[in-house]
Amino acid sequence: MRYMDKNLREIHNAIISNSVTPLELVKEAIELAKNDDNNAFEYICEKEALEKVRKLDPSKKNNLLYGIPVVIKDNISTKDIPTTASSDLLKDYVPVFDSEVVTRLENEGAIIIGKTTMDELAMGGTGTSGHLGTTYNPWDKTKTRIIGGSSSGSAAAISAGVVPIAIGSDTGDSIRKPASYASLVGFKPTWGRISRFGLFPFAPSFDHVGYFTRNVYDSAYLLNILAGRDDKDSSSSFEPIEDYTKHLEDKLEGTRIAVINGVIDNVSDKEILNSFNKSIEYLRQNGAIVDYVDIDLILLEAIQPTYFIISSSESTSNNANLDGIKFGSRIEGKTLEEVMVNTRTNGFSRRIKDRFIIGSYSMLEENRNELFIRAQKCRRLIVNAFNNVFEKYDAIYCPAAPTIAPKINLKEDTVFNKVNISEHYMAFANMGGFPSITLPLGFENSMPFGGNLSSKPFQESKLFNIANYIEKGTGLSDKVAKRD
Amino acid sequence: MELRAIIGLEIHVEMNTKSKMFSDAPVSFGQLPNTQVSAFDMSFPGTMPTVNKQAVINAIRVSNALNMTIDNVLMFDRKNYFYSDLPKGYQITQYFRPIGRNGCLTFNSGDENITINIERLHLEEDTCKQFHVDDFSYLDFNRAGIPVIEIVTKPEFKSGQEVRKFVELIRSIVVFLDVSHGKMEEGNIRVDLNVSLEDDNKRWSKVEIKNLNSLSNIEKAINYEVNRQKDLVIKGKTIGRETRRYDETNDRTVMLRIKTDSVDYRYFTDPNIPPIKLSDEFIKNAIDTSPELAHVKQKKYKTLGLSDYDANLITNSKETCAYFEKGLETGCSPKTLANWINIQVQKVLKLKCISINEFSISAKELGELILLVEEHKINNSQAKSVFNEAVETGNSVIDVINKNKTNHILDENEILDLIKEIINSNQNLVNDYKNGKEKVVGYIVGLVMSKTQRKADPSLTNKLTVVELRRR
Amino acid sequence: MKKVDKETLKLAAQHLMFEMSDEEYESLLADFDSIISKMKILGEIEGIDDVEPMTFPFDVTNSYLREDIAGEPLTREDALKNAKDIHNGMIGLPRVVK
Repeated sequence: MRYMDKNLREIHNAIISNSVTPLELVKEAIELAKNDDNNAFEYICEKEALEKVRKLDPSKKNNLLYGIPVVIKDNISTKDIPTTASSDLLKDYVPVFDSEVVTRLENEGAIIIGKTTMDELAMGGTGTSGHLGTTYNPWDKTKTRIIGGSSSGSAAAISAGVVPIAIGSDTGDSIRKPASYASLVGFKPTWGRISRFGLFPFAPSFDHVGYFTRNVYDSAYLLNILAGRDDKDSSSSFEPIEDYTKHLEDKLEGTRIAVINGVIDNVSDKEILNSFNKSIEYLRQNGAIVDYVDIDLILLEAIQPTYFIISSSESTSNNANLDGIKFGSRIEGKTLEEVMVNTRTNGFSRRIKDRFIIGSYSMLEENRNELFIRAQKCRRLIVNAFNNVFEKYDAIYCPAAPTIAPKINLKEDTVFNKVNISEHYMAFANMGGFPSITLPLGFENSMPFGGNLSSKPFQESKLFNIANYIEKGTGLSDKVAKRD
Repeated sequence: MELRAIIGLEIHVEMNTKSKMFSDAPVSFGQLPNTQVSAFDMSFPGTMPTVNKQAVINAIRVSNALNMTIDNVLMFDRKNYFYSDLPKGYQITQYFRPIGRNGCLTFNSGDENITINIERLHLEEDTCKQFHVDDFSYLDFNRAGIPVIEIVTKPEFKSGQEVRKFVELIRSIVVFLDVSHGKMEEGNIRVDLNVSLEDDNKRWSKVEIKNLNSLSNIEKAINYEVNRQKDLVIKGKTIGRETRRYDETNDRTVMLRIKTDSVDYRYFTDPNIPPIKLSDEFIKNAIDTSPELAHVKQKKYKTLGLSDYDANLITNSKETCAYFEKGLETGCSPKTLANWINIQVQKVLKLKCISINEFSISAKELGELILLVEEHKINNSQAKSVFNEAVETGNSVIDVINKNKTNHILDENEILDLIKEIINSNQNLVNDYKNGKEKVVGYIVGLVMSKTQRKADPSLTNKLTVVELRRR
Repeated sequence: MKKVDKETLKLAAQHLMFEMSDEEYESLLADFDSIISKMKILGEIEGIDDVEPMTFPFDVTNSYLREDIAGEPLTREDALKNAKDIHNGMIGLPRVVK
């Protein structure tokens, strides 16, 4: 019997009925992780997981996460477990503290079985730039397609059925894009809803901790565990938390949903459009009002450059602590400066250096008004435009990507891709801190694609409610890429 | 044409809070290296800043003492540069919105009152400490993240003496407000100076002198630097834009580096610290509960009857004020207590090179000793010898008094008995007194004094004698 | 705005404490062109100079301040376990010239 393919409630019931023990679950997940052929893992925590599962407090048996194996993206701090952010500079770094998400998961009885690969320092969207190389899409048996990133290993592990939940981070669309390429439910909450304490910062004003599940219920349930104020993260919200599973089945009558013309107009894939339209039909049948709404095209086109300038600028500063002195792979030199230069020259890949230079350049006194400040102003215009839509609508719904997972192309991911609105628009949710969820819509040549739904800040319950209907309409839940 | 010096200051005050500016690591001086650090202070990835409430309260109090406008939103920015003593590769500071703005401070220098305008006061974090030995440097992160207040004045000082008086006052303010230990020699207060010259037509380049850590060095460095610059101008040479340091041994300033285009710190708002609203109530409360400044105490002490001179001396140090106020709790006369502190106590402190906190006679003991005098239980000279013996032996005042029974002071009854004895043995005294011979009183007091080896209190004896003679 | 050429990029890299190859500078230079032209277009968006720059996604102002209570510091072992060249409980470096 295999359990890692199942959803949380199924596994939980098996534990409650004594059909399986947490130890057996953890052993199964570790075995699957060891046999992973998608390059999903930076580190498999076999010893640590087996020890923790033996120490599980049986009084927590009724928690849904009790004994559930999970994987964590490798930019999230885990005490005594290497955390590298898939960068050579951090290949030997072993944190002395746990991130808040890890603490919360472990308090519920979840067991971390591995740390997952990612684009180096989370800067990238392909899963090809980590120091261990490309992470593959489990849905593609020929190993020629990306799974997307930067949360590539977490997406690969859960869609390959290694674990039922996987933690990631989302700065532009780093959870929601891979979710689309892997038939997953990928969710990031409102900015500040889940503590970022322990998340390696890329661009803090865009950064979110989020996660992958294989169905909407699990996604909503996980937020119950992870949401809430954390005094260790000053940006963590004081908004009251809710039971996010409570409104999943609420009727959709009167719910207003907007499709953004500029996004949908840039999707040409017939299969994707077809499935997307079908899901809209289903929403309408269930009482939702779905309208097509305009947002100024120039603002939609501005999302990518704006995102790029701000995120690069913030990242330059956030990663200035990586000098090899306090931690990290220090490379010696004759002077202090040489130590820093040698360490950073060898520790970062080229694309990281590109971003740092662009970010730093954008913030220089003589350039900032035309680059960094302009991008920050543009951010406000973009967020205002989306807020205008949210004044009339409960949610914005569009395809999460214009295509299925692209073929691996190591050259393509330069710092500045050709702008295709439908490819990059999801970063609007990071700019405005809007909660956002990607969920499966269909398959094309057995490769998955998904839709994306976003709402106003702190409207997660409504978001899950609509998502749950979309899931019912497609019937696509608990999908696992089958191994041959 | 007359060349005038213009000087501006940047003063860094290291706070004495219990925890650091952005982490809860303890602030504790003199500990083993790298034992007072949190993951944040080591800049481990994923750690985040949390703003220390007391540091904010302290900044509000100092801003208020400097008559500044206090911002009601607290925001922090990053100052980006690489250096070994800067763990994160940036320092969190307040560049765009300092908590305090546009203040001024009036003080006395020479015989004039001078008002200096203060541009800004902001909160930031300290760097880590480096030790240099041979070809190596060593890093201790204990200091990293200690809260710091930076005060920036307008360039309005004209002399080293003015600057010295000003820094002295700032020191008094931060110490009395309990913001800092204020020990300049330990680097709690560090001063950077900008010194330049001007005449009616021209202003010459600014020279920066960094990291001055004593009042006398500040004054000496300015005097030297102003003369150096004047000399250059007179000789027709140029004054370079440069950074210098003060070489104490040779009493001169030495060039550290030429100032190139100013470094671009790429300031931006720290996205990990959302704006923090400081309510009017919070600000008001911080000010209302603020410890008293020296000049407030001075005023208060004067209403208790202290002379300007005594009040001034006491308020020179916060510890002395605390000692004085503790002593007052015994109910002794403020004026007498101030006298004792400023003369007897200070003499001992100077002799022993100790601070009043280390003084063996507690304020309460001293107050009680003075009370004994006031209640005529001992006389002044006895009190002094008790005080001296207590200082020398380290015994408590009470122990000294109890031990020296011989020195025990005559109380009212003993004195009265002596008076009665004298009068009884010479009835003429009563008659003479009743006939108006007032000097009888003096005669009796004299006899009592000689019989007691002057242990009796003269005024008390006087009083008792009059009463007894009238009673007869 | 400063003109971008290879020297500018080299200087920027130097300030950021790393080096790149000539070839890498060339290719970054090409990227810069496209970034700067994109950002020029953004400068023409109507109303862009009428709005304040945005740092936070929405109004996140709060009034929380951490109480000034000292927590348990790291053990020295934990503080230094990821660093190299430890001497007498301190991290050693080639001499830093101030």
